[in-house]
Amino acid sequence: MSASTHHSVLKHHFDNLEQQHAAERLGMWMFLATEVLFFGGLFGGYTVYRMWYSEAFAVASSHLNQTIATINTLLLITSSLTMTLAIRSARFGDKGGLYRNLLLTAGLGTAFMVMKGFEYAEDFHEHYVPGVLFQRAHDSAAEAVAGLSRLEAEDFFKKNPQHPEWARELVLANHGKSLGDPGYVNADHVQLFLCFYYIMTGIHGIHIIVGIGCILWLVLETYRGMIPPANYSTVEVVSLYWHLVDAIWLFLMPLLYLAGAGLVH
Amino acid sequence: MAHPQTNSESTIDFTKDADDPVSLLMVYGAIVALTLLTVGVSTQMALGALALPIQLGISATQVCLVGYYFMHLKKGERVLVLTALSSIFWMAILFVLVLSDYLTRTMIVG
Repeated sequence: MSASTHHSVLKHHFDNLEQQHAAERLGMWMFLATEVLFFGGLFGGYTVYRMWYSEAFAVASSHLNQTIATINTLLLITSSLTMTLAIRSARFGDKGGLYRNLLLTAGLGTAFMVMKGFEYAEDFHEHYVPGVLFQRAHDSAAEAVAGLSRLEAEDFFKKNPQHPEWARELVLANHGKSLGDPGYVNADHVQLFLCFYYIMTGIHGIHIIVGIGCILWLVLETYRGMIPPANYSTVEVVSLYWHLVDAIWLFLMPLLYLAGAGLVH
Repeated sequence: MAHPQTNSESTIDFTKDADDPVSLLMVYGAIVALTLLTVGVSTQMALGALALPIQLGISATQVCLVGYYFMHLKKGERVLVLTALSSIFWMAILFVLVLSDYLTRTMIVG
């Protein structure tokens, strides 16, 4: 006896299943449109400041961890594949496949957050965080080489690696220059970039966590027998959300991590 | 009281519109390849001013692939595709109005 003999998938306010599925998809797409606007605002703000402070943003971006970002992108793209395969499993009534694909997707999303945790930990360790931490690390590096020539300063930093790389580069780039000189990298603008970086990746991360929660809910519903083939659309609407979060990352990654394209360290 | 199971739920074949796994894998491969391309090109070549449009072009292609194949816009109802395109339209309004303000102000120096 399957679940469908005592619980109909068709809700009474729909004429037929096809209409119900179409309505479910449309409803989720309406929500996704609001999510596009939500992130669109953040992207818009980032666009203005990157346009105004392009050099500082390029330098700031080059000190982020591109390796972790690339791995994370591949994890998310793979999770989109497994999520789409989950819909297929649901359509075929393949419960084992459904469990497998849903748990793989949730696992890949979790791996993304774990990598992000390592990335943030590394950033915090280097004090690459806007505010007091950044200010202190920058000022201590600047004070340590105040009065030295550029070559002496480079030498000093080589012998004293406790100063983070980004602070060394900023201090050396601005050596002998002041605000307004060509090639001067404004540390405040670097901090502004970091604000966008943490807020945009942080809010994206919250969306990933919500998505993982929804996927685990789907696993629970599968266990309760509530996802017969007729109810494949429940898996589909969660997958639409998941794909959008992936799509947002596909834009976020190059804009934040590859802004310093070609800058060599 | 729950409604009794309707006949259609047991007679409709829901596997009819299922995705072909090989096609999905090919799309997946394409999106992965584009990621490696954008990272490789950005880190290994001095693109200068071309970097941003190339990166955005690659990202847009990836998102189109995700939308068309993974999000099933390929076989979506017309109103669905319209909703998806509307979200891009609204974002375009956001960018046009915001940038037409900021692009026409005096640039901040330093």
